[in-house]
Amino acid sequence: MTTAEPLLRIHGLSKLYGEVPAVDRVDLEVAQGEVVMIIGPSGAGKSTMLRCINRIEQPSEGEIVVAGVNMAGEMQGGRFVADGPVATARKRRKIGMVFQRFNLFAHLTALDNVAIGPYRVLGAPLAEARETARELLERVRLADHTAKKPSQLSGGQQQRVAIARALAMRPVLMLFDEPTSALDPELVGEVLEVIRSLARDGMTMLVVTHEMQFAREVGTRVIFMDMGRFLEQGAPGALFANPQHDRTREFLRRISHRPETEAARQPR
Amino acid sequence: MGGVDWGVMWYAAPYMLTGAVVTLEISALAMLAGTSIGVICGLLSLSDLAPLKWLVRAYVYFVRGTPALVQIFLVYFALPVIGIEISAFWGGVVALAFNSGGFIAEIVRAGLQSIDAGQTEAAMSIGMTNRQTLLHILLPQSLRRITPPLTNEVITLVKSSSLLSAISIFELTRSTQVIIAQKFTPFELYALLAVYYLVIISVLSKVSEYVEARLS
Repeated sequence: MTTAEPLLRIHGLSKLYGEVPAVDRVDLEVAQGEVVMIIGPSGAGKSTMLRCINRIEQPSEGEIVVAGVNMAGEMQGGRFVADGPVATARKRRKIGMVFQRFNLFAHLTALDNVAIGPYRVLGAPLAEARETARELLERVRLADHTAKKPSQLSGGQQQRVAIARALAMRPVLMLFDEPTSALDPELVGEVLEVIRSLARDGMTMLVVTHEMQFAREVGTRVIFMDMGRFLEQGAPGALFANPQHDRTREFLRRISHRPETEAARQPR
Repeated sequence: MGGVDWGVMWYAAPYMLTGAVVTLEISALAMLAGTSIGVICGLLSLSDLAPLKWLVRAYVYFVRGTPALVQIFLVYFALPVIGIEISAFWGGVVALAFNSGGFIAEIVRAGLQSIDAGQTEAAMSIGMTNRQTLLHILLPQSLRRITPPLTNEVITLVKSSSLLSAISIFELTRSTQVIIAQKFTPFELYALLAVYYLVIISVLSKVSEYVEARLS
């Protein structure tokens, strides 16, 4: 076990919908620079767990600490005081999130989608915010598309703008919620390539994904989640080559058969 | 007997114009106040403040469930009873603002709710507060969707202002009725009255078409 404080520490996290736990007493520690891939069947609670980390979803129980900051509140005079909405919003700034459906701001250009965070939230001058945005869009190879509205961009381009938008806040942690699941197959690669380059730069990331090849190559750790719990985790090589749990084996078997069944449907 | 008396129209038109000015004044003031009330109430009905939410709901329920004429009488006769003395003109403004505010609250609420939840989540994810999300993300996007129903509401408001003739405000309808009482030519003058309203409302529609085009 490491002695250094992990960048992300989740302890006893649960999210209940009525009586039903979507996330069930999850513990997780992620060190700086780790890329944690979360796989598992739909309805396993993967997205819900991510959304609890930046409190887009209110956790029912448990503690989440990001870079030493408790996401729920602060100790004041020996007493825990829960954050109000403004304090929560402030704490979200350093956690970037990328959504399955991109969720770009529909009324803004690609450039302003990226600039609006630094400008409105961080209070940077507009010209400076746009300059930052331009650099980030260049980094995701969209320098030629800055003036386009989201509706004029392909899914893959939209998702890359969304990544740039998250990066513009200079996050210490990035959450990816199935970033390629809504994309046409031929557009998946360009988005994965951007995530891969972030990993190379040492960004700490949690990625919910169904791209097993990508998870194996880019992840420093893979977690298999089912029924709201972590059933199994480990180094990608080990987990994919030699899954310990029956359900993991079953899941990987079904996933690996998927392309073949798709191919079987193709011939005409 | 028989035949249309065109001459009376020339006689009445300038008088009616002064009435039309009052109609426009009242409508404009009621529209401003009603829109303010409507936006505030619409936002409140989406907030987490349960008591205020219920208050707004009761207000909308009342406005929707009672005739505008009854609301006008209530304001006109009830305000003095609770010690508020205002002129008929301002009573009319208050009554119409009260009426349109309830409908506009619903328009604003529906407009904001029609924006995809993903927009709010994305705004939250970059650290926007509720206020920033509303101001910079939701309102700009809902404005375009709100404009057509809001135009309808303004048109309804202008037409409802004719009801103020019942509390003796010399707006367009009332001023026409006064001349009819002198000249006994109801058909000609009510026809002219209709034309006046048509002109006012056509201009409003054009303005709103322009605004809509600018927003899209």
